Amino acid sequence: MSEKSEKLVNVTIDGKEITAPASLSAIQALWHAGYPRIKSVGCLEGVCGSCRVLVRREGASEVKTELGCQTLIEEGMQVMFLVFPRPTHHTYQLTDIKSSWEVQAKFHEIFPEASRCRHCSGCVRSCPKGIDVELGVELATKGRFRQAGELFVECVMCDLCLTACPELIAPNHVGLFSRRVTAYFHTRPSNLINRLEKLRRGDFHVAE
Amino acid sequence: MTNGIPYEEALRQYRPGKKRALPPQDVAVDDLLRAFHPDYLEDSLVTLQVGPNKGDPCHRQLADVLQADARIDEADLAGAPVVETDVLVIGGGGAGCAAALEASRMGARVTLATKLRLGDSNTVMAEGGIQASIEKGDTPQMHLDDTLKAGHNQGDRKLVAKMVMDAPDVIRWLVQQGMQFDLDEFGNLLTRRAGGTSADRVVYYRDYTGLEMMRALREAVRNSKIEVLDYSPAVELLSNESCHCAGAVISSLKDCSYVMVRANAVILATGGIGRMHLNGFPTSNHFGATGDGLVLAYRLGAKLRDLDSFQYHPSGLAHPHHLAGSLITEGVRSAGAYLLNGHGERFVDELKTRDHVSAAILRECAEGRGIKVNGDAMGVWLDTPSVELRNPGILAAQLPKLVQLGKKCGIDPTKQPLLVYPTLHYQNGGAVIDESGLSTVPGLYCVGEVSGGIHGRNRIMGNALLEIISFGRKAGGHAVKQVHGRGHKKVTIGHLSNLRRELAVADLPMGVKGPMLFPECAKFELDSDYDGLRRGKEHDDREAE
Repeated sequence: MSEKSEKLVNVTIDGKEITAPASLSAIQALWHAGYPRIKSVGCLEGVCGSCRVLVRREGASEVKTELGCQTLIEEGMQVMFLVFPRPTHHTYQLTDIKSSWEVQAKFHEIFPEASRCRHCSGCVRSCPKGIDVELGVELATKGRFRQAGELFVECVMCDLCLTACPELIAPNHVGLFSRRVTAYFHTRPSNLINRLEKLRRGDFHVAE
Repeated sequence: MTNGIPYEEALRQYRPGKKRALPPQDVAVDDLLRAFHPDYLEDSLVTLQVGPNKGDPCHRQLADVLQADARIDEADLAGAPVVETDVLVIGGGGAGCAAALEASRMGARVTLATKLRLGDSNTVMAEGGIQASIEKGDTPQMHLDDTLKAGHNQGDRKLVAKMVMDAPDVIRWLVQQGMQFDLDEFGNLLTRRAGGTSADRVVYYRDYTGLEMMRALREAVRNSKIEVLDYSPAVELLSNESCHCAGAVISSLKDCSYVMVRANAVILATGGIGRMHLNGFPTSNHFGATGDGLVLAYRLGAKLRDLDSFQYHPSGLAHPHHLAGSLITEGVRSAGAYLLNGHGERFVDELKTRDHVSAAILRECAEGRGIKVNGDAMGVWLDTPSVELRNPGILAAQLPKLVQLGKKCGIDPTKQPLLVYPTLHYQNGGAVIDESGLSTVPGLYCVGEVSGGIHGRNRIMGNALLEIISFGRKAGGHAVKQVHGRGHKKVTIGHLSNLRRELAVADLPMGVKGPMLFPECAKFELDSDYDGLRRGKEHDDREAE
């Protein structure tokens, strides 16, 4: 098999020194070396946000935050798995927002810290998806929820920005709030509504 | 491995083309399936020897866990705390969340236990979309006909009828949970066509439909009164004096303890079996998809169905090696991508049903027309550059996950085709349910992939996301109405003594323990972090040494 002919690299994952083919992700390398790993494993496709890791590449002084299933191992790389943080303290029900005119006021009640963003860019640097998280928070504080939400299309709710934020803004939840209110108040597809109305009138039946 | 055309050579010969004719297809579908679909692989089936489906055919690997010994016995529960709830939901994907939200909305106390974290599921990975007949010229009847036909007329018509009539309201409900969909300039829902169907009926959000759905539902659950137990795999169901389901034994990966959760009703929403890698296939499934719910339900006497029928999605990534099995949505073929063999020829109508297309790919590979990489991977081209050629910008706009996947492979899908091969994707069958999601065991509901009957022997794109919400909500609402007066008298794991007796009589090995909980590669049984939990075979062997 080709795996045998592949280049092997030496990495340190959670303090364990591992030699594995260079094509493997950090999670695969750990398994390849025979170490168990249950927590911090999810979809293995980069969309569930479970496998948060700290990564330092050889010769680099910077420690980056990434997703362990998406990080391919490199010679001299150090990887540490991070536990998942406690859920955010922010809580809200969409049904408590009576109309779309109230969304901005409600937003500041629910996320009072958002307007205190100190623009440290910690959230942006922590994001494994390259989202301009800080801009998203700023747009949301100005009530520009549709625009803010658009920035978070790729967000997998890994909570790395939540961990990074010194003001406890929970920026990913700000992004998700922005997306949710946009759908809740403004997604009104006429083709769907027309079909629902016809169903309500009993226009459609299926032969059971 | 059989012969094929070397990757580099096939790539050199490849040219994108706006239009390519499909050579005449003369093979009958049934013959194609019988010859090449993995469900028909020789020796892959066995006959179940114990339980409600005794005598039925079942995949060998699934039979091993359905006929396995339990992970726990009475001694493990001595001193285990007992907690009470009205409705216990097991599973934190879309079906579990929908069920929990509906039960909670109706005023019930709801506990949701999930093996990993809330939202860690196949739902979050779903790409293509969700079916609802909303376009002019489409009807629920056509949706029903398409669903049954694609399932080789083996589906349960009553269940499908409920689901298709409910579909538009499912979309409305999702919007009200804060889920976005792709819309046209007037705010209408955009639709795409699923393979094997007669109308454009799949609504979607890019190729992140499941991610967008799961983000909204997870946030909705987190902000409700639902109690969420994460890192808490269920290891056994509880039964009362009448053998009704009365709760579950939940283990905790945090403190390695067991807790008995007593409930008026249990809703199993544990998903499918991809990580059992049936027939050695790669899988598009989540790490947690190990078929736990089937095992738990079967032991308590729930009838299952179609245990010999699985879906292999035609377009799993075949190369590079470390990403093998990753899903590429059917939406790519819906957008017009051809499948090409090593000679650059089309060989199947790309929008036939998934079983048909997968079998055709396997035929190309078996007969030497596949594309071969380094002797360890084989596949056919998914001709994405031609889609881009016809419709510049479409990949980036509608299929960003595909573009991301391309980046990881070091391949730009607008310029170079991707190598694909069928990947184990879905369990067509599962627990027999009624129109409320109730299994054949009173008090036990099964929703989502763990249930069977809707998709017959083959599922169409978009019906899984529809099913999980439609039946999740139905089961959640119905379970709330289960009232046991003063509650169950006696709640035990007494049904396990029957299981063990049956296993012994049938002379089946007692060394195998189920449910599996985690894929073998993760080595749960050897992980010293979980020493407090009773483990399966490997652990016992090690102790015996």
